Amino acid sequence: MVSANLGPILQITNEFVTFNNISRSMMRKKLLKIAQSRGLENAILFSILLFLFNIIFPIHDSSILSIISEILVFCTIYFLYHYVYNFLGMRADSPLTLVLNAGILAALLFFIISVTNSIFSSGNDKGGLNFFNSFFSILVFFVFIGAIVYIFSSFRELFFLRQKKDTRTYFNTMLVFFAFSFFSNILIKFDSSLDYPRDAFYVVTIVLICLNSLRVAWIAFLTKKQKYYLLGISVILSLLFGVTSAISSNANVMKQLLSSFSPGLQTIFSLVMIYGTIYYGIIFFTTLFHLPTAEAFDRKADEVSSLMDLTNLITQVFDFKELADTITNITTRVCNSESAWLITKNDEGIELNSVNKIGYIAADKISHQLLDEEENDFESIVIINTEQLVKLQIEDQTFRSIAIAPLKVHNKIDGYLFAARRKENQFDLDDKKAVKVFADYAAVALENAKLIEESIEKERLEKELDVARDIQRKILPRIIPGSDRLGISALFIPAFEVGGDYYDFFQLDRNHLGFVIADVAGKGISAAFIMSEVKGIFESLSRIITEPRDLFIKANDILKESLEKKSFVTAIYGIIDKENGLLKFSRAGHPWIILCREGKISRLQPAGIGLGLDYSSGFANSIKDMEIQLKNNDIIVCYSDGIPEAENAAQEEFGYERLESLISDNHDKDIDTISKVIMKELSLFSKDHSQHDDITLVIFRWNQIN
Amino acid sequence: MADFNVNLRGVGPVSVIDVKGYLDAHTAPELENVFNKLLDDQQFKVVVNFNDLKYISSAGLGVFMAYVETMRENLGDIKFSNMKENVFNIFDLLGFPILYEFYKDENEAVGKFNDLDKS
Repeated sequence: MVSANLGPILQITNEFVTFNNISRSMMRKKLLKIAQSRGLENAILFSILLFLFNIIFPIHDSSILSIISEILVFCTIYFLYHYVYNFLGMRADSPLTLVLNAGILAALLFFIISVTNSIFSSGNDKGGLNFFNSFFSILVFFVFIGAIVYIFSSFRELFFLRQKKDTRTYFNTMLVFFAFSFFSNILIKFDSSLDYPRDAFYVVTIVLICLNSLRVAWIAFLTKKQKYYLLGISVILSLLFGVTSAISSNANVMKQLLSSFSPGLQTIFSLVMIYGTIYYGIIFFTTLFHLPTAEAFDRKADEVSSLMDLTNLITQVFDFKELADTITNITTRVCNSESAWLITKNDEGIELNSVNKIGYIAADKISHQLLDEEENDFESIVIINTEQLVKLQIEDQTFRSIAIAPLKVHNKIDGYLFAARRKENQFDLDDKKAVKVFADYAAVALENAKLIEESIEKERLEKELDVARDIQRKILPRIIPGSDRLGISALFIPAFEVGGDYYDFFQLDRNHLGFVIADVAGKGISAAFIMSEVKGIFESLSRIITEPRDLFIKANDILKESLEKKSFVTAIYGIIDKENGLLKFSRAGHPWIILCREGKISRLQPAGIGLGLDYSSGFANSIKDMEIQLKNNDIIVCYSDGIPEAENAAQEEFGYERLESLISDNHDKDIDTISKVIMKELSLFSKDHSQHDDITLVIFRWNQIN
Repeated sequence: MADFNVNLRGVGPVSVIDVKGYLDAHTAPELENVFNKLLDDQQFKVVVNFNDLKYISSAGLGVFMAYVETMRENLGDIKFSNMKENVFNIFDLLGFPILYEFYKDENEAVGKFNDLDKS
């Protein structure tokens, strides 16, 4: 019972605790958010409050009023500061503008102080405090607040610029001491002897200022020109801040006015002025010390940005010539040389790819002389100076020093990058390194360009192969015109590269079936084109010429016009009478027909040379006809050399005997099965070896039906 | 892939080309270069020694067809010698023996040229 009652209470307590935690962290976040996002509104709000307060109580002698006034001033400064540094944060990439703007505001303050001093110096203390005077002085105070905040925020931005480590703590500590210094003035209101905390805070703040002023890393990243500019500006501004600080610390009208308005503001003002004096002083000296290295730094920066540009170029530009131009251009600029040029090496010799500030002929001459006369292969970067140039008898004596860097990829030298100087000063270690780096980039770019070219070529070949395959697929017959008496099985397997195999059937008349099996020497698209021409020739000639021999002679004549000298076509053309089983055919250099009669193999090989081998009478004289009367169950096998010449991994050929014994062993099976068996054996035989030629297999079987 | 080697030597006025290994579409250009060199040097009497040739493809055969005409026009020829049986069978199937002279021995082929000059 008790525990049951206690449960909810504990739960509530827990919830309360968590709620408290959440609300606290939430409140803090909210406050920060308000301070940041509503910086401007808050700043304006407090400015107005401050303004009204000062209008209503032009002189506040009571402590309470002073405290309220100080708090209002502080809040105005705080929120304005928050707003301004967020605003400045957006333009932190131009430190010189920050420096200059802060300086201009300091000059404005100096001007105001000087003017007020000169106007009121003659007048007595706290002259006519009429409405106009107090209104004017409040405006001046606001200008002071604004200027101080802006200057301080600029310092803050400069402080955090290019800082690698988190240095926020140092700066925030200083901020806290600024606040302490501000409020310590109130203590004096109560008791004038209580001025030691103010002085203590003041001194500590100045020490912190000194420490924080040392954060000037950003100066190193300026260019040489900017550094000179900064040097001039910082010395003037340091003096300006110093003078302003000195004037305001003296007892004068402005100081009195400020102290009467807000002693805290006066303290902050003098602190910021001191900050400015110290900071610009340090900037001056730091810049001064950075000047000797400014040039080297500039060059390094140039080198880095050039390399970044190059990296981009390499991935975007495929044209090596364009890249070479960029590389020689950068080399001339970054390595302080007068000329640069780039050559590539290939089988034929050297090729000048790009020249910068030197003529083609001069560059070509010098490279040839350097590369030919010197036995050295320039395996790594070499600097050649005047004496050596004279020794090498380089006719062009305008150059005093030449750097030669090899373009090396995979330990192979593809070319050289040259940088040449007319001036007396020689290439130093840094120049040498830079030339080497650019040469390495050029090597990568060259390799890249080569690879891309290769892949384009490969793609082109693939496309070509696709076209060739397409042609082949289209010219092969779709219907195999078998009949009861004449069974036909046709099979075709293209090689990857597309050989030139072609077979076809022609229904000449009711009883006569013409057939052709051909093989064009060669591969790819050229073979495919000849193949389609051969198809046209056989298709048309088969209609007009009934003798296979005459047909071949005519076909050879026609092919003379289109076949290259080194190209030829082997073929078998035959006509089968489907009525009586009479086969008449001729062979033009093609593998013989295999006849299998009751399991016995014979080779039907009439004489005849390949089409395109000879265009004189030699062809006609060589070619013979052959006539065979088919008997029941006779098997006729036509094929391309892709079958007997198929190789295994040991580079042994499949051979005719293997083919013939497969046919005779399986002669009692149907012809499709025979075809399958042959293909199966063939693929088993050459399973570890790629098929490098087309394979065509056409099998006929004669069924005598009486 | 399969390697191919070609060597050119002169035996009197006759140029003898030794071919070795596998002569196919990839290696045929090497042989073509040798023939081009012979044409540049006005050498038209050629014997090709096939003693060490293991394989020839249609592209390899094409090389001889491409140059034989020019050689014959200039009173020269391409003759073949020392051919292995399997290589000869390929030439034979195509009908090359009708158009080209084949000899068992290189000297015999070279001698044929010299006989012709004497007569």
